[in-house]
Amino acid sequence: MIRLDNVTKTYKGTVPALRDCSVEIGRGEFVFLVGPSGAGKSTFIRLILREETPDRGQIWVAGWNICRLRHWKVPYLRRNIGCVFQDFRLLPNKSVFANVAFALEVIGRPKSMVTAQVPQALDLVGLREKWDCLPSELSGGEQQRVAIARAFVNRPLILLADEPTGNIDPGTSAEVTRLLDRISRTGTTVLMATHNDAIVNTMRRRVIELDNGVVVRDEDEGAYDAPVAPYDVPDAVAASVEPTSAGVEGLR
Amino acid sequence: MALSLDYVARETGTNLWRNRLMTVAAVLTVAVSLSLVGAALLLKQGVSTATTRWKGGVQLAVFMQPQAPPDQTRAVGDKLGSMQLVKRTTFCDQACSYKEFRTMFANQPDLVQSAAPADLPPSFRVVARDANHVQQVGSTLKPFAGVRNVVYAKQSVDTLLRVTGIAQAVLLSVAVVLLAAAAVLILNAIRMAIFARRREVAVMKLVGATNWFIRVPYMLEGVIQGLGGAFVAVCVVAVVSFLLRYSVQHYDVTLFQSIVVSGHDLFLTELAVLLMGIVVGAGGSALGVRRFLEV
Ligand SMILES: Nc1ncnc2c1ncn2[C@@H]1O[C@H](COP(=O)(O)OP(=O)(O)OP(=O)(O)O)[C@@H](O)[C@H]1O
Ligand SMILES: [Mg+2]
Repeated sequence: MIRLDNVTKTYKGTVPALRDCSVEIGRGEFVFLVGPSGAGKSTFIRLILREETPDRGQIWVAGWNICRLRHWKVPYLRRNIGCVFQDFRLLPNKSVFANVAFALEVIGRPKSMVTAQVPQALDLVGLREKWDCLPSELSGGEQQRVAIARAFVNRPLILLADEPTGNIDPGTSAEVTRLLDRISRTGTTVLMATHNDAIVNTMRRRVIELDNGVVVRDEDEGAYDAPVAPYDVPDAVAASVEPTSAGVEGLR
Repeated sequence: MALSLDYVARETGTNLWRNRLMTVAAVLTVAVSLSLVGAALLLKQGVSTATTRWKGGVQLAVFMQPQAPPDQTRAVGDKLGSMQLVKRTTFCDQACSYKEFRTMFANQPDLVQSAAPADLPPSFRVVARDANHVQQVGSTLKPFAGVRNVVYAKQSVDTLLRVTGIAQAVLLSVAVVLLAAAAVLILNAIRMAIFARRREVAVMKLVGATNWFIRVPYMLEGVIQGLGGAFVAVCVVAVVSFLLRYSVQHYDVTLFQSIVVSGHDLFLTELAVLLMGIVVGAGGSALGVRRFLEV
């Protein structure tokens, strides 16, 4: 579904944000993308969305070589990809329903499809009753669920989430992640960049770790931190790895 | 991809309303500049009617008496044909004179009605080999039998042409500057509209709306501003042309008496004004969306 072959990306006048990355992600997989701040997680996601193009290497998304994709075809690529961000990016003057419907309307989908699929998407995220609320009347977690509904309403092949839990409390974060997990079970490939160690450690899914633009770990059923030999784990680091109880509770 | 009319109309409507001050400024500028363009075009056509006789560089017209017998007319024609100083002569018979007369006095129907082809003088239109010898040709023919009078282009139309020429140049150059200003205003209005909706535009790009889908409402907004201005200008031009006609009929304005704008000319002018409005609107907004809506 997603394949990066030796991808290098350097922003103008900086060190490479991604260096010689090769990753393959299959259909319906749920993958965590972890790594310290500045490791290149957002860059990874922007490349898949073709908001950026790599300097070297090839990227395949949903069967397209997106480095060779013509400019005018980019929107059609993006119709196969749903996106969720830390800051939700909902339109403040539109209701929940209108926000989700917007994603279908602006790609020219007929009204019948809008009236059929938007309620389904809202059901999926459990916000059907709040369809008429404005985003400002919702909690952060609810707003993020609306964003997920918007990303999913067109039934994308891929769902990218860049720190979707960055702005919400641990309990709600777990809920949001579970929702993404449910979506991945429908066959949608989910790639979630996150700093939330509790969630990664609880879910035990495939983990790709970036550091300084390099893939340093790609592990199935991985944890937030690399398994390390006991003798070089300082106590301070080990303590910081402890999952927060709230996050774990939320996932149960 | 289906661009639903409903969507485009709604988006364009909200944009125009949100930026109504900018919209008014853009529409007014387009209106003023296109009114000037329209006036200049009308003037050009009016003058061209007024100077039909002098088309093709004719410098001299020899008018015969309306009742002059054919042999007198032939004598004048032969003389003109044989003169070294004459480069070219054309003969305008009574039917031809009548046609010209009708064009020139189209806005004085009473006058046209009262005249018949037989009342009008036939004439020779003369182009001299050398402009300095026009006077000489004229005085040679004046004494011929049957010649009523000789009219020189210089005294008849030169002033008119000079005055209207300057007026046209001034009108057109002011109009060009204003049109450029109008295009910039429209561009700016579009830019502001896009900026005001940047969140929406960002979401649209993210979910895969095509560039055209995003652009069309903004481009339409520019075209509507251009059209709005053009519409005002069309009204202004119509009023000006009416006033011109009215004043020619009711006052004795010697210089402009012969300036006539026919309905046909007016129609063409209005059409040109409308087209220019669309072009300015589309041009301004195309630049606006190109600079600010790149993927
Ligand atoms: N638009 C840009 N122009 C220049 N440099 C950039 C740009 N975006 C990111 N970078 C640089 O690229 C590197 C990787 O950034 P990126 O945003 O991918 O990191 P990240 O892993 O998402 O970090 P975080 O966890 O803080 O979101 C950083 O060094 C950053 O400074
Ligand atoms: Mg980031």
